[in-house]
Amino acid sequence: MTPPPAGSLLVATDLRKAYGPTTALDGAGFSIHPGEVVAVMGPSGSGKSTLLHCLAGIVPPDSGSITYNGREMATMNDAQRSALRRSDFGFVFQFGQLVPELTCVENVALPLRLNGTSRKEAERTALSWMARLEVDDLARKRPGEVSGGQGQRVAVSRALVTGPRVLFADEPTGALDSLNGERVMELLTEAARSTNAAVVLVTHEARVAAYSDREIVVRDGKSRDMERVI
Amino acid sequence: MRSAVVGQWYRDLAMGVRFTFTGGREGWVRAVLTAFGVGLGVALLLLTTAVPNVLSARDAREEARQDRGIGYLENNTTSKPTDRSLLIADTDTEYRYQEIRGRLLEPEGADAPLPPGVAKFPAPGEMVVSPALSELLRSDAGKLLRERLPYKTVGTVGQAGLIGSGDLTYYAGGKGLAERLDGSVVARIDRFGASTDQPEEEVDPILLLLTVVVFVVLLMPVAVFIATAVRFGGERRDRRLAALRLVGSDSRMTRRIAAGEALAGSVLGLLFGTGFFLIGREVAGSVEVFGVSVFPSDLNPSPGLALLVALAVPAAAVLVTLFALRGVVIEPLGVVRTAKPARRRLWWRLLLPLGGLALLYPMLGQGSENGEFNEYLVIGGVVLLLFGITALLPWVVEAFVARLGSGAVSWQLAVRRLQLSSGSAARMVNGIAVAVAGAIALQMLFAGIESRFTASTGKDTSRARLELALPQDGSMIAVGEKLSRAKGAAATAALSTTEVSDAAKDPERWLGVTVGDCAALRELARIPSCHDGDVFVAPDRADPTSANLATAGRTVYFDPSWSGEEAGAEIAWKLPAGMRKVTERPDSLRPGSAGLMVTPGALPAKTESDFSSTVFVRTDPAVPDALDEVRNAAVAIDPLIRTWEWETTQQAEQFTDIRTGLMVGATAVLVLIGASLLVSQLEQLRERRKLLSALVAFGTRRRTLGLSVLWQTAIPIALGLVLALAVGLTLGAVLLKMTNVEVGVDWASVLSMTGIGAGVVVLVTALSMPPLLRMMRPEGLRTE
Repeated sequence: MTPPPAGSLLVATDLRKAYGPTTALDGAGFSIHPGEVVAVMGPSGSGKSTLLHCLAGIVPPDSGSITYNGREMATMNDAQRSALRRSDFGFVFQFGQLVPELTCVENVALPLRLNGTSRKEAERTALSWMARLEVDDLARKRPGEVSGGQGQRVAVSRALVTGPRVLFADEPTGALDSLNGERVMELLTEAARSTNAAVVLVTHEARVAAYSDREIVVRDGKSRDMERVI
Repeated sequence: MRSAVVGQWYRDLAMGVRFTFTGGREGWVRAVLTAFGVGLGVALLLLTTAVPNVLSARDAREEARQDRGIGYLENNTTSKPTDRSLLIADTDTEYRYQEIRGRLLEPEGADAPLPPGVAKFPAPGEMVVSPALSELLRSDAGKLLRERLPYKTVGTVGQAGLIGSGDLTYYAGGKGLAERLDGSVVARIDRFGASTDQPEEEVDPILLLLTVVVFVVLLMPVAVFIATAVRFGGERRDRRLAALRLVGSDSRMTRRIAAGEALAGSVLGLLFGTGFFLIGREVAGSVEVFGVSVFPSDLNPSPGLALLVALAVPAAAVLVTLFALRGVVIEPLGVVRTAKPARRRLWWRLLLPLGGLALLYPMLGQGSENGEFNEYLVIGGVVLLLFGITALLPWVVEAFVARLGSGAVSWQLAVRRLQLSSGSAARMVNGIAVAVAGAIALQMLFAGIESRFTASTGKDTSRARLELALPQDGSMIAVGEKLSRAKGAAATAALSTTEVSDAAKDPERWLGVTVGDCAALRELARIPSCHDGDVFVAPDRADPTSANLATAGRTVYFDPSWSGEEAGAEIAWKLPAGMRKVTERPDSLRPGSAGLMVTPGALPAKTESDFSSTVFVRTDPAVPDALDEVRNAAVAIDPLIRTWEWETTQQAEQFTDIRTGLMVGATAVLVLIGASLLVSQLEQLRERRKLLSALVAFGTRRRTLGLSVLWQTAIPIALGLVLALAVGLTLGAVLLKMTNVEVGVDWASVLSMTGIGAGVVVLVTALSMPPLLRMMRPEGLRTE
């Protein structure tokens, strides 16, 4: 295994994770620089989502090491990892996972409120991010009243509103048509680059991976860098 | 045309039933949840349908073992032993506030009747005991009782001789009972069983009203709960139904298919309920609730009522589903309910409680003297009033939460969820609100009419806690002294009573005589100075002529004779010259003891045989189990000594029975409601599992989510309890007006009822925390 490049923000080495008899990760590695967009590709069940969950500190690996900003994640307890996710990480999921009872602006403001920001201030910042993602007119609507593409852009706003250093996106366009998917990817990568956030992008679609700077492939729980043909 | 409609209904319902069982894991989970909820309700309904059977079986066994009344041989004290006669002594006792039925048996012939449930007469020194008593005697808790019943256990009393499984009963072998035959404690009988011509006790109309209301109040929450249970998992089902719309089913068909799913769940619930009932039936044999225990074999549902449950529950499931879906538009691309729902209307919701009040109104002021209550109007009125809660609560919750602003994140999450779907929150607390309203109304009614069915005994328990009746006089003073040395006895007063007459033969006038030492006599009258040998007279205000007999120097007679009967001892006694007049204490230990008060030294010899003696014991509050220590000491002196614990008040038996019935029923209903709340809480959490995991993934604190769940439950329950309070107080006031009793509110019990309701919710929330924490694990994000 090649050592991670210097200046990496998030580095994982030799990760192993099994769910019962099923091995999800079998010695996978990963690294990402600030501002870099890395696509994690692979077929269904290959372990790419598990890799994302381990990198984000959502699921602890059975063995291996993950360092974020030079700090070993295994040494952090659950509360510290949660605090890290609140302050430094952002998340976009395939189905948005917006809280259905909150309005769109309340959904976007939620991570800020969890960090202790006042409601007014949080919603003001949320609105500015929604404007950047072209969904500010949906602010007072509930997720059930907006389309899938709009909801996913609201979810991206929510992921970026805290100014995360790493954005984890798990199949962010998986539930969208190609036009909406491309628009979401354009806005997501644009916004991330403008804030110098690294993006870990899990996808199995080549056209989505094309928005990344680098691609790695996960197969049978192992990862490897993919040569990009231009 | 009609057959086509019926056929369509049948096909749609059948399709719904098929979807339930072929819908994969999701369908099964929903069906099992519904069946579990419906099953709990069905089990309770089946239990209710078994109540008449339980009561009649208990009554039958109680009558069969009776050894009083008809079982007596004619002229009991002078009857002669025969081949079929049995001497039986009543040795009932009490142990740690549990009643124990005891009998000493001494067969006098080969064909003497065996008590029901007893296979063979125990020999002297042996006893047969009920299983519950056997268990108590073997346990550590039965240590003191073992001292009281020093017999060897040689057998078990069977079910035929017991009222319930927890019945504490024993039959011990007796010896020499013939010498103590008095027709009271010791009797000679030739069979067991009650008289068949005993007149049936008439039920007071107010008690009948109470019984009817208790049944309605207990069954209403069960009905509400069943209606809630058939709607478990409704949101996902609606999404599934949207797919059906996409392939061409119209909205009516879709609703019928949903009703078919509910039908399948409710039929499965009937099976679950039967299973729960059968399990509960077996468990019931080993539990006792508020002193009531039953045998599993008594818990047989009445066939007619059980059939009614079997038909009504599935029918209710179909109707409730059709009614619930009336405001939900299932479109091919989704369910319109996910958008902001239409506002609920108040007018028709108010009709229900108002209708209830209208039905109850004609019966105001009926009272127990002014005829009977119309049961149907009472049931209808109470049902409508309580059912009004279930109709009003969704409106109240919606109207209230719409005005709530956002606060902390947990509050905001909860309030927004309630604003979006106040209906499911209201449904969740409907059952408990109905139960609390009913309980408040009943509590008011009980408190209001309690005085009518409760009489003061006039006994001062600070002066005596136990009263012991000695079966034969013999050594009244000695028994008193022995008991005063018993552990737990602080003081004793031993008193004997008899009467003296004006003539040795065929007397016409009588005068009461009470014998006791100076300390004991002072418990009855104000006596300034007293020595053994003194005699006092306390004038009987009710019978002034008795004073003529109680004059110093006059001769009176103990045990006079009657012409044509066996001669008495005819002991003459000249009343001493130094006899002093005293006044009976208003708080006498034994009111009505006017007449002669005599210290033992003043009595002529050989007069004691006809006395009936009583020892009053004041117990030492510092001694644990003082009452039982004294009872043990008494039985050690003579097993035929009977004891009574003094109470300050005494309640009519029927009133107490209804109250106990309410307690038993309310406990069962609260357990059911608690379980149902838990199931519906878990079901809601399960539907939000993925969202919860996502919230945790981006760093939401578990405490925030836990608090949000608490708020989501607390807000509707608070509103539900306020509404329950209003309806309960209204119903209580109406019921009191019906019985012509002044309306008053016992706030302590009202608040305790409300507190219990709130407590159930807090408990359920606490119990749902572990699964909530499990569901909040980020692993929930995994889909593969």
